[in-house]
Amino acid sequence: MDKKETVSYCLNALKKSGADKATCSINMSEKKELNVEIGEMTLLRTTFNSNMGISVIKDQKKGFISINKTDKDSIDTAVELVLGMAEGSQPDEAYDIAEQQPSQSFSKGDKSANLDKMYQSLEEFVDYVKSTYPQIQLEAAIMDFSHSKSLFQNTNGVDFAIREGIYSFSPVFLSKEGKNTSSFNYTGFSALKIDKSLHEYGTIDTLLKQSIEQLYTQNIKDKFVGQLVITPDCIGEFLGFITSDISDGKMISGTSLYKDKLNKQIAHPKLTFHSCPVSDEIDDGYFVTSDGYTAENSTILDEGILKTHLLGIYGSNKLGKNRAVNDGGAYIVDPGDKLHADIIKGIEKGVLLARFSGGRPSSNGDFSGVAKNSYYIENGEIKYPLSETMVSGNTKEMFENLDEISRDRIDFGSGILPWISFKGITVS
Amino acid sequence: MKYNNLNQFKDNFSNYTELRVQENRNNHVNLTNGDVTGNVTTTNSGVSARVYKDGNWGFSSSPDINNDSISGVVKASSENVQFMNKKDDTRCGFYLPETQANNDMDFSTKKNRQTQKYWVDFIREIDGYIEHKYPELLSRNLIIGGLDMEKSLFTSDGSESYSMTPRAILYVMLSIEKDSSPISIGNPWGGLGQLEDKFLQPSDYYSEIDVLVEKLKQKANGIHANAGYKDVILDADLAGILAHEAIGHTTEADLVMGGSIAGDYMGQKVASPLVTLVDYANICNGETCPVPVYVDDEGTKSEDVVIIEKGVLKKFMHSKDSARYFKANPTGNARAYEFSDEPLIRMRNTAFVSGNHTLEEMISSIDDGYYLVKTGNGQADSTSEFMFAITMGYEIINGKLGRAIKDTTISGMAFDVLKTVNMISSDISWSSAGMCGKKQLIPVGMGGPAIKCKVNIGGR
Repeated sequence: MDKKETVSYCLNALKKSGADKATCSINMSEKKELNVEIGEMTLLRTTFNSNMGISVIKDQKKGFISINKTDKDSIDTAVELVLGMAEGSQPDEAYDIAEQQPSQSFSKGDKSANLDKMYQSLEEFVDYVKSTYPQIQLEAAIMDFSHSKSLFQNTNGVDFAIREGIYSFSPVFLSKEGKNTSSFNYTGFSALKIDKSLHEYGTIDTLLKQSIEQLYTQNIKDKFVGQLVITPDCIGEFLGFITSDISDGKMISGTSLYKDKLNKQIAHPKLTFHSCPVSDEIDDGYFVTSDGYTAENSTILDEGILKTHLLGIYGSNKLGKNRAVNDGGAYIVDPGDKLHADIIKGIEKGVLLARFSGGRPSSNGDFSGVAKNSYYIENGEIKYPLSETMVSGNTKEMFENLDEISRDRIDFGSGILPWISFKGITVS
Repeated sequence: MKYNNLNQFKDNFSNYTELRVQENRNNHVNLTNGDVTGNVTTTNSGVSARVYKDGNWGFSSSPDINNDSISGVVKASSENVQFMNKKDDTRCGFYLPETQANNDMDFSTKKNRQTQKYWVDFIREIDGYIEHKYPELLSRNLIIGGLDMEKSLFTSDGSESYSMTPRAILYVMLSIEKDSSPISIGNPWGGLGQLEDKFLQPSDYYSEIDVLVEKLKQKANGIHANAGYKDVILDADLAGILAHEAIGHTTEADLVMGGSIAGDYMGQKVASPLVTLVDYANICNGETCPVPVYVDDEGTKSEDVVIIEKGVLKKFMHSKDSARYFKANPTGNARAYEFSDEPLIRMRNTAFVSGNHTLEEMISSIDDGYYLVKTGNGQADSTSEFMFAITMGYEIINGKLGRAIKDTTISGMAFDVLKTVNMISSDISWSSAGMCGKKQLIPVGMGGPAIKCKVNIGGR
């Protein structure tokens, strides 16, 4: 059976066995992955996988099964099992599947990897690091090309076909000189094409250079309350503190800080950001939501006002709120007026936070963590890289006290993010 | 899904080769405020081969498990290593140490397997108890689930092994509202074994849930810790994560090769003489560890690694390749998570060796400090600088436990912190609910006794 016949067979088997509603998706993928370990390119991986996700609703009871086989016997077994799981569960009126939409096919990216070109790019990167930054130990670096073909169908007639091919690259590194070792750091990007040297993407070259500076760190002299400038590599984690609070889990459990804040101000008016999975600006987006709707771009915060929660079908029905038009991610933050260098010039005392080693914020938004690969700022100047320095605050208050957003932004392929400064952060 | 005849493919091997058939099975039920928000079963299985020649590796995997696909992954991984060798032959002549081990270990339950409905009803009964007894709670999130990892391995060195290593976890996360903000606490139960062996009846957990709710209420009325460099007692969970994150990772030989600070300290005093730290392969104090490994995924017999002995850094954890580099013996730490993953150096069951003090003696020895009980998560660095979230703890004043503290963070340089250890409790307890992330996820055990030391604690 080909993919279409396999999915049709599965949905028919589910209907024949008594399913009221069902969804079936199939994904066939191949990945070519080159690995650098300890500065040497030593591993080539080729992996194939297939995945079938089968979701069923019977008498408003739901079960989900995922298998990585697509033969008839495996599907028959999975159908029987998932129906049994649904029958043994509890009914909930909020369960549903995506409504019918016009059938569509989506396609992006290369169909196969040019392995020689990948090798050459990675080899050039390794050589560049060795020659330009001899103190750097390239602990690991992975360059891969993933190609997948997917089908998504449900019993309401949803029928989507998706083909995607994308490159990604992620180095992990530290610096060593004598007995001095810097904190490790990492970054990365995704792209539909590799058309320039790897170190020119994202913040790679900047972080490599900073890693050497971070061989020699200092502690701050005294605890203070000051400003935090969060870099593009790190700001996604902080935006995630907002987006996790407006997503199904916390919204349904009732622990979200923003459960009743739709169309209300939750952050400073300078902050506008969007989730853009189908924007031309985002290489590594997605076409279809996990529930089976065509994904659309949306504005999450407009001048600090919450414009949407990120609820799927279940969360939307459970809470009587609107379903989001995407699954989040692919975030683009609107630029501010100043270059990040000028924002730093205006800071009396603060920290340039490049990596946050911290716990998840408490349910009330309190957070604290170590400022890694970060710098002390005083009188508008970056003074020195930090060690053993903690930053703490409250996510809710922090976004209300946002100060500036940079005009310059970094394109990571999966998001376009600026530097953002915040007031009132405790540094100790 | 034991695969008995992998050795029939040995004629396909032309270089050092590992051939592994693996199936991971995961099932879980999630309840959120009584509603079933997850009722999921996942099965992922396939075959992989990894080939080594002249300092390069080739790897390939396929979800199909039949003679053709097995021959196919051996061929594809051989072609991959040839591609690498054609590009770079500078490591020509590198050979891996040979190891041979044979083992068959199956931790499957001997009981009849229960249906998913049984576990839905099981967890609903626990939730019903909480809802009825504690209506004041803001939210209840419960998860019950299991992960079975079943591996059959054959290597060109002649190792043959089979393992079925299951883990079952019940996790309860509760929230209460205080001053219009949610305050939460969670606790895992479970460990090695399938659900049927770990979870006998819902009522077994009621008294511990009562304690959890009491702690949540204490925390809701808790105080902010007084930030600074303090005497603390790290209870077993915290000591375990310190052992794993802050010391363990820095002594994984691949990270040592990558520049971790531990590389400079071999044979040196890195901790108080009270401190001995071990990555146990499978047995500790005569009992099976939470994540027992008998033969690793390179076919090496797994042995205990005494990382720190009486304060002195003694040994790193090795794969075959790192053992070749350091001219050491492989220690059986090379493990892969999915069939499509290559083995990496991973910890197994990492813990401090117990001492001879009671917890009461340790508390009474502190005038101004904290007893830290639960951790949310933790991270550490190549420098041994660490950060752990504290989700439950108490102040200690004049040798007595005081008020609970709100969520906070502790940090420090692990090798400095270990030098301040001056008391270790005589008991040991394990936790195995966590997954360690290092390119791949993998279940690990961590634990230990309570230790008294000095760390930086966050707060206000």
